[in-house]
Amino acid sequence: MLADILVNFPVREFLLSVGVLCGISLFLAIIMVVADATINYYGQVKLKINKDRELEVEGGRTLLTTLKDEDIFIPSACGGRGSCGLCKCKITAGAGEALVTELPWLTAEEHRDGVRLTCQVKVKNDIEMEIPEELFSVKQFETEVVSLRDLTYDIKEVRLKLLEPVEMDYKAGQFIQIEVPEYELTDEPVYRAYSMSSEPAEKNVVEVEVRLVPNGICSTYVHQHLKVGQKMTINGPHGDFGLREGDSEMICIAGGSGMAPIKSILLDMLRNGNQRPVRYFFGARAVRDLFLLDEMRQLEEQMPNFKFIPALSHPDPEDQWDGETGLITEVVERHVASAADKQAYLCGSPLMIDACIKVLSDKGMPSEQIFYDKF
Amino acid sequence: MKQTAIEDRAQAQMQPGVITRDGMLGTDTRRLVDILVEDEAAVRRLGTTNITIARRMRQLRRAGAGGLGNSIPVGDNFDVIVDGVRGRLPCPYEDGTVSKTNTRVFNRRLGRELLFTDLNIHLIERHGFYMGRGSLYRIEPADAMAILEIEPDPPPTIP
Repeated sequence: MLADILVNFPVREFLLSVGVLCGISLFLAIIMVVADATINYYGQVKLKINKDRELEVEGGRTLLTTLKDEDIFIPSACGGRGSCGLCKCKITAGAGEALVTELPWLTAEEHRDGVRLTCQVKVKNDIEMEIPEELFSVKQFETEVVSLRDLTYDIKEVRLKLLEPVEMDYKAGQFIQIEVPEYELTDEPVYRAYSMSSEPAEKNVVEVEVRLVPNGICSTYVHQHLKVGQKMTINGPHGDFGLREGDSEMICIAGGSGMAPIKSILLDMLRNGNQRPVRYFFGARAVRDLFLLDEMRQLEEQMPNFKFIPALSHPDPEDQWDGETGLITEVVERHVASAADKQAYLCGSPLMIDACIKVLSDKGMPSEQIFYDKF
Repeated sequence: MKQTAIEDRAQAQMQPGVITRDGMLGTDTRRLVDILVEDEAAVRRLGTTNITIARRMRQLRRAGAGGLGNSIPVGDNFDVIVDGVRGRLPCPYEDGTVSKTNTRVFNRRLGRELLFTDLNIHLIERHGFYMGRGSLYRIEPADAMAILEIEPDPPPTIP
């Protein structure tokens, strides 16, 4: 029976059918390759920036990535996923309508004025845009890790020596973006933003404090893989958080790695002999979450008008804590009678900042005197 | 069961690099509808509902938010830390955005921890989606029941 089937099997027709199918598949594959190379190929396009700069770039990628390759670093905290809303720029021609993914980030006025998220704009043709002048001073730096220090069980201090260029001019309170190379959690380099905790006068070293975030690509890398002597790429400086003019009392509030920019501001004030009164409220759960206490006490000795007020929300019995207790908002509420004539500088989680803004507003602080840096 | 066009579109949004870098399906190669059906059955076997699980997650998230980014004790058995970063994530079903907030619930009695995001809560509550197997943010319904100490719903009474 089987032998009969094999003898009568139409080999010629079978091979012909296979050949025809292979031919059709090959033809379709060639069509797809040609289509990909032509439909998705935008060739060289021009980016006209602030009316006086013109770049010729390869089309086809996002505007954020294209600009980065031209050494123009637009800040972004989400790696270009359109989920942080930081990479806004005004585009006056060539980008089409804003995408649905951008709308939650744009006010009605920004939408009307052509503000876009550069990570969502694909460069397909000539584009005219405006980029804030200060972003042209953002550079990429090659650095080397010179020290790693555990500040708490989940916060690590990283000091980076600048190798090329060797110096960064920045203001206390600004942040950098750190590039994490490919490793087990990422198959492509990603950037994450961290406030600098270092003193701006020390131009060839920058320091950041990195809190371990569960599943966080950058924080896991820093906590589990980064070694002294290793090279890292960063870019910066970014951001406009920092000391504003005035001589009114400063109310600084931070939690966790929100310590970083406040520390930088304080060190800068010390170096510049700034005598403004400062009260710095730092919130943590228990003693094991506190850090840099000695440094803060030393600053109190060096800066006569500076007062550091750490507060624990739930101290452990073995902490034997006799300092302030309660949520940081409660402590601020107890200590600050009226905030109408003061300035506030906040850094921490969005939850903490929103709660602090409410307390300070209730105490009469005008919103334009509240400066903050949300993680 | 046939997958709807809405589920097709949602599954496309769940791929790596669309909404989140790693996507929401992990190593799971099943169709979205199959993932949903299997988890729905698991939830039913546990004697609860997606709404009950999501409501408990939201309750602990709300209580933990009082810690303003620090861990705080909640009830007798839990330490909860709610922490967020700047930004919002769109739902793959395109029905809104949620804040990028992580909630970590440590059950002291069991010595076990559950990590979930606001997007997890939304996806479970609205769409019965617990993420694909192998996803960093996959929530096993049985783990949620145990660690969050969710009691099975009482059986429906017959009038």
